[in-house]
Amino acid sequence: MDQIMIMGYTVIYSVALLTLISLGLALIFGMMGVINFAHGEFLMLGGYATVMASHAGMNIWLAMLVVAPLSVAVIGALAERILIRRLYGNVVMTMLATWGLSLFLIGLITTIFGTATTGVSAPLGKISFGIYSIGVYQLAIVGLTVSMVLGLLYVLNRTTFGLVMRATMRNRETAASIGIDPRRTYAMTFMLGAAISGLAGGLLAPLSGVIPTIGAAYIARAFVTVVAGGPALVSGVVATAGLLGPIEAVLSYLASPVVGQASLLLAAIVLLRVFPKGLSARWTGSE
Amino acid sequence: MTYTRRSLLKSAAMTSVAAATQPFLAAPALASSSISIGSLHDLTGSLNAFGVPSHMCMKFAVEEINSNGGLLGKQIELKTYDGQSNIALFPRYAQQACLTDGVVMLQGAITGASREATRPVLRRYGVPFVYGTIYEGGLCERNAIAVNTGGNQQVVPLVEWALENLGKKVYYIGADYNAPRNFGLWNRVVAAQNGGEVVGEEYYPLEVNDFSSAIRKIQEAKPDFVHSCLVGAPHMAFYRQWAAAGMVDQIPIVSVVFGGGQEQEILTPEESRGIIAAYNYFEELDTPENKEFIRRFEASVGTDHPYINGIAIGGYNGPMIWAEAVRRAGSFEQAAVMEAFEKGFEWMGPGGLMVTDGPTHNVTQDIHIGQYADGTWNLVETRKQIRPYDYEGRCDLTEHPDNTDLLTPVI
Repeated sequence: MDQIMIMGYTVIYSVALLTLISLGLALIFGMMGVINFAHGEFLMLGGYATVMASHAGMNIWLAMLVVAPLSVAVIGALAERILIRRLYGNVVMTMLATWGLSLFLIGLITTIFGTATTGVSAPLGKISFGIYSIGVYQLAIVGLTVSMVLGLLYVLNRTTFGLVMRATMRNRETAASIGIDPRRTYAMTFMLGAAISGLAGGLLAPLSGVIPTIGAAYIARAFVTVVAGGPALVSGVVATAGLLGPIEAVLSYLASPVVGQASLLLAAIVLLRVFPKGLSARWTGSE
Repeated sequence: MTYTRRSLLKSAAMTSVAAATQPFLAAPALASSSISIGSLHDLTGSLNAFGVPSHMCMKFAVEEINSNGGLLGKQIELKTYDGQSNIALFPRYAQQACLTDGVVMLQGAITGASREATRPVLRRYGVPFVYGTIYEGGLCERNAIAVNTGGNQQVVPLVEWALENLGKKVYYIGADYNAPRNFGLWNRVVAAQNGGEVVGEEYYPLEVNDFSSAIRKIQEAKPDFVHSCLVGAPHMAFYRQWAAAGMVDQIPIVSVVFGGGQEQEILTPEESRGIIAAYNYFEELDTPENKEFIRRFEASVGTDHPYINGIAIGGYNGPMIWAEAVRRAGSFEQAAVMEAFEKGFEWMGPGGLMVTDGPTHNVTQDIHIGQYADGTWNLVETRKQIRPYDYEGRCDLTEHPDNTDLLTPVI
């Protein structure tokens, strides 16, 4: 019984983790078509914002939930304004530019903070099931990820801002012709994506620690999830995470971590072979 | 000039290079009133947590040698090269050190990969290579001296101690590359020899930073202690998640690498509480030699220095042991220095007595076991005079002077 519960938890946590690191990218890459190689660094900056705010004496929850998304949103807005704005529609150029941005951010943070920084402990203590014990904070991450998914779905589907966003991404000219400012919408969407990435990075900081190069641990899996997720941003990401996360978690557990990682990538390849436009193309009808 | 003959025999293609370099190597050693040695460490980039303290200790060692009148009447000049955590730069700088700067000894190249890239270059030019860091063991070459501990010297005393004091069931978890797998081998051997049982052995790729399933597996296996050889910043997430799952007071962790990258300062005190490590040196050692060493060191660099751990201390021990060999040889020449080293001499370091071991070109030394709590390492026990492993007789440089292979134990 304990084992089944803990296995269930492991699977759910793996889905949440994959969703969490991919949501911000889903907006920026999935929706706006900007291949954001600096996505990992947005997560990294969220982590640094959390740790710095917490070291400055701020409440850890405030640091994670408010400071991290806000500061990365500001950095995202700056990057969009200075760099990305000029390159919309040019996939190769955005790729190069964001790669440069990624290297710049890693270098900047290394220069300021060095290669290693004291982290923060995860709050909330532990909970036991028989021989197993897990951090309550990890459960909180699952809960917060669910709220983020629901919140994003609500914003995209039920608010005017969401409608404007979707309309602009689908057809920029038509949106402009009815009085929407596409440049502003693009900027806002990019900022929102950056804020979500910052929040994710902040939430993960107590479990992962902060180093300038931590983005590398996330970027590949985030891209795999978003690409394999397909056109329906949020549901596609959640569905892919729901497929790939458990494959990695269960095989890491039953076989070895190397097998788990390899299987995730293998599964993604198979997924894209079967659904070339992504998993969610099945239900959005854009096949 | 045996080194010239050897390199000539090794490769006919190198003939012209070796001949051309000889004046460069010989000239500074004979003519000027100072002589150069090289420090090749990662001072920038992701590995600088290892490189900077080691280099700092090396600089201090040179300072001490010079203030005590130098070596054979010459002042030592330390040439510094920054490997920048980039392996490609190591052979390049090693070549520069030998050919352009005429160093008579080079120390550094901390990671196994950078060491293996560096030592063939030094061998080619007959410049002694001093290796100052803890490592998996098996460096067995006449042109090289390993002054820190090899795999068996840390793992055997630590695991023996743990089996005596913590219990018989061990779970080994390590990073997935050469050295941790080698340490894992030793872990298995020591457990088998002492009636212990390895209830799990797992290796994680270096970039992994989610250890949920690892922690589940450990909880299931219920070991008496965990032996961790997790390495690098992403792997520190293990200790965070271990603490978050409330395991800190449940199952103790022992390690031969924790602390080497200043992990105890990067984790919070709560996360690193209780971890037990084994090194040939801790700053907290309560001996007159160490107290005196710390006093002199801090008089030179100030009190606000990085913690001197079991890796960094090699930066001090290396030049000191080399200098002792030079004094005994009465010469800076490679063959004479190595011969002096091989005769076996004693040197009292900050971590205790060190005795050079001729056949293996490693060093017999004391190993200290410490437990981390409240921001400091508390010394638990010292195991005296742990000898380097001879690799079932294969590492005997008096018998096989031409061996340059990195040996792995066959057990």
